[in-house]
Amino acid sequence: MKYTEKQVNVPLCAISTTSGLVNKTGTWKFAEPLFVDRTSPCNQQCPAGEDITGYMYLAGQGRFEEAWRLIMEENPFPAIMGRVCFHTCEEQCNRKDHDEAVSIHTVECFIGDYALSHGLTIPGIQPEKGKKVAIVGAGPGGMSAAYHLKRMGYASTIFDSHQSPGGIMRYGIPSYRLPNTILDGEISRLYDIGIEFNMGVRVGKDITWDSLESQFDAVFIAIGAWEETNLGIGGINTKGIFNALEFLHEINLDKNPKIGKKIAVIGGGNSAIDCARSSRRLGAEVTIVYRRTEKEMPAHPEEIEMAKEEGVQFLFLAAPQGISGNGHITGIKLEKMALGDVDDSGRRRPLPTGETFAIDCDGMIIAIGEATHVPDLPPFISQKRGVVSTDQMGHTDHSKIFAGGDIIDIPHTITHAIGSGKRAAIAIDRFLAGRNLDEEGPDQFRWGENGNVSMGLINGTALFPRRNTSSEVIAHKDMNTFYFDHRPRLEITRVPAKERLQGFQEVVTTPSQEEVVSEAQRCFNCGSCTECGNCYIFCPDSAIKKDPDGYGFISDMDYCKGCGICVNECPRGAMKMKFME
Amino acid sequence: MKKVITGNVAVAYGAMLSDVQVVAAYPITPQTTIIEELASMQAESMADFDYIRVESEHSAMAACIGASMGGARAFTATCGQGLFLMHEMLHYATGARTPVVLANVNRAAAAPWSIWSDQTDSVSQRETGWIQLYCEGNQEVLDTTIMAFKIAETLRLPAMVILDAFFLSHTSEPIEIPDREEVRRFLPVFDPGDLWLDPENPRTFGSICMPNVYMEFRWQIQRDMEKAKGIINDVHEEFGEMFGRRYHQVEGYRTDDADVVMVVSGTVASTGREAIDILREEGKKAGMVKVKTLRPFPREEVIATLKGKKKVAVIDRNFSPGATGIWAQEIKSALYELPEHERPLIYGYIAGLGGRDISVNTIEEIYRKTLRDDRPDDVDIWIGVNYV
Repeated sequence: MKYTEKQVNVPLCAISTTSGLVNKTGTWKFAEPLFVDRTSPCNQQCPAGEDITGYMYLAGQGRFEEAWRLIMEENPFPAIMGRVCFHTCEEQCNRKDHDEAVSIHTVECFIGDYALSHGLTIPGIQPEKGKKVAIVGAGPGGMSAAYHLKRMGYASTIFDSHQSPGGIMRYGIPSYRLPNTILDGEISRLYDIGIEFNMGVRVGKDITWDSLESQFDAVFIAIGAWEETNLGIGGINTKGIFNALEFLHEINLDKNPKIGKKIAVIGGGNSAIDCARSSRRLGAEVTIVYRRTEKEMPAHPEEIEMAKEEGVQFLFLAAPQGISGNGHITGIKLEKMALGDVDDSGRRRPLPTGETFAIDCDGMIIAIGEATHVPDLPPFISQKRGVVSTDQMGHTDHSKIFAGGDIIDIPHTITHAIGSGKRAAIAIDRFLAGRNLDEEGPDQFRWGENGNVSMGLINGTALFPRRNTSSEVIAHKDMNTFYFDHRPRLEITRVPAKERLQGFQEVVTTPSQEEVVSEAQRCFNCGSCTECGNCYIFCPDSAIKKDPDGYGFISDMDYCKGCGICVNECPRGAMKMKFME
Repeated sequence: MKKVITGNVAVAYGAMLSDVQVVAAYPITPQTTIIEELASMQAESMADFDYIRVESEHSAMAACIGASMGGARAFTATCGQGLFLMHEMLHYATGARTPVVLANVNRAAAAPWSIWSDQTDSVSQRETGWIQLYCEGNQEVLDTTIMAFKIAETLRLPAMVILDAFFLSHTSEPIEIPDREEVRRFLPVFDPGDLWLDPENPRTFGSICMPNVYMEFRWQIQRDMEKAKGIINDVHEEFGEMFGRRYHQVEGYRTDDADVVMVVSGTVASTGREAIDILREEGKKAGMVKVKTLRPFPREEVIATLKGKKKVAVIDRNFSPGATGIWAQEIKSALYELPEHERPLIYGYIAGLGGRDISVNTIEEIYRKTLRDDRPDDVDIWIGVNYV
């Protein structure tokens, strides 16, 4: 037989018809991949404890109703939040290290508006548990607590001295930032689920604290901070001088206060900006007088920017020393200030220089911060200068009494108030069920180490499933951002300043649904599995499989060699390698 | 149709005319323009293939093997370090019997870095089971690319088309571009037969083999490499019939009465023809043999061509450190079986490494030295090295 004609009894290439699964390559590994949902920095940052990565994912798929329901697990006011929250989440956004932070508030606002325009109703109300909770204060903190308690099956009854619910959201925020239709729309849903509102009732006067305590199983107090801080100078009773909240209150009641033609606003916070911009809308010339510089202003930069666009003037490094005018204000005496060392707030402190000067004005608004009016608090509560002491979940040392919002020691923002209402609702639920919350360890329901607690984490939610949640916060460097393109953040168009000054209509325009979907898709969903399938595609051993129980993937330890490619290729940092014992 | 094109563009034309279906490659000088040209052809709808971006040459070959296993005609191109990185997958392609075609632009090995030509990269792959076809000019490059698919698919063995860096890859020549339909008649669509990854018939290929069958698989590679000698000649023949250009594994040039026959490969052959003509005009009896295939090595044809010659000078644009040039080893080994009176003396010369010119003068110098020396030196002579 010729060499080239010799045959053998095998095919050209080895062929096997039995499965390769007999070869359990998993025995080689010394490390294994774990699917771990890490916490995104935005979720940890959100004072209301929202699942931002989750609803961004849903919104990015155009699933606005589900996105809304996911927000509603944590916060009953998405449309309000999208407008008035100063979105510190965006400052933490990992995408800022890639190109620009995601415009989270724009997406949230759109989701909130979507729910309003589609008439979505609050789902998931638990059956009545037969217990009653009184909530004192119909502001963001009180309504948040009432909402969560109602959803957990408690009869929630709100008391508030104002005629309409909303608190600072109604009386302290001008409608160009938060239109009444939005506010009323979101609050009306709370009426729909059966929360009882007793408006025009001042607890402590119209009804006693004691009777409240005896009629209800628990009491949550969130009466807010309405008292303007004393400026500490003479002549403060001269006509033409307003306190910020008093002024904003009148504006929001459409009273059109007669404030004059040339207004000085004292202070550098968001209230000062609100007063200044509102005054511009009433036709006045406005100067903000602040004792430090723009850099130290606590007001949000976007607000400062829009105030400038609207012609608000700024006078920095000036502190009021006295008021001029007989009967009606004609000017302010000011002392020139200089910046000294950094103080406890992390900003350089203003130092007097002794040099004085004066400005003319026929109206002045004081906006240097608000505190709680102490006589409005129950006399038996332990407090220090109006700040009620509570544990981390809002329980006071008075067993049936819980507190939240601006009367406890948290930053005075609407979002923090909403977050405190949720914490207290959880605490009240555990208190009324006779469970020891400390033993349950509320930390396991927090976003990260420092974030707020989450109803989604406590109860689990099918809207955006999370598995093996970890408090570890994922950083940009721990993600594989190769998989994300670069594109600019959605910038929302502002109404031209000239048009804005015509009245109190909203100053930003609504983006299109396509723009919002696209912006939501910019979200990295840091730390969360979005079932992108990279782990599945890249696994050289086909050891990654779709989870038969539902969401996400699993790794089959019989075949996983522990190479770590899946972990490396996970764009979102939702996997990690663990060395085996 | 005639076009003035570089060797790399000629490769791209060859692959395009062969209706390649999958291309996976990684850029590396001087190969890059092959894939760039193919990409342009794709963009201009002259070609229709799937291009797979990969992160290395190793992956490029892995992708080609996968594509070939899927029943597609697969092509890649590389050179130098890229080919070294592919080494593991080159063996695999053979064992998996995937008829992938690879164009390798001969580039010297680092370190030190060199992007210029020598054969170290391809001769280092001698034992991988790839058919190796060395080309003399750009026309041969284009034609050989087309023929390589036919040879590879007939044998189900992978084939490498080899061209010198810059001397061919970046030098333009007027080339006849074959008619597309005619190429399709010459090279029908790849038929993988039963040996492909058919989703309807799930099977594993190349899974583990016990010692009692492994040798049988390897034997078939060896047997089919032997068959390849005949297949290559058949394909050369058929191509010549259809397109009028004839190629050979071993081609003698003015060897009949030669006192010194030089054995060359690649572009040295075209310089060699020039040198032989000049030497002949001077009355010198110089001759040349161009060898196109390193694997399979055309032992019988080499013996038939060199039998009875007095002196054979092998010019190697490569060397095996600690031994000799690769072509010299092959020639010596083939001629050893001749009886002593028919067995030529074999002189080994190393020249042109890292892109150094092998000029007409170099070849004349080698001729004169071979003629002058009664016996070859114990080891190869290095031509043109600046010793101090």
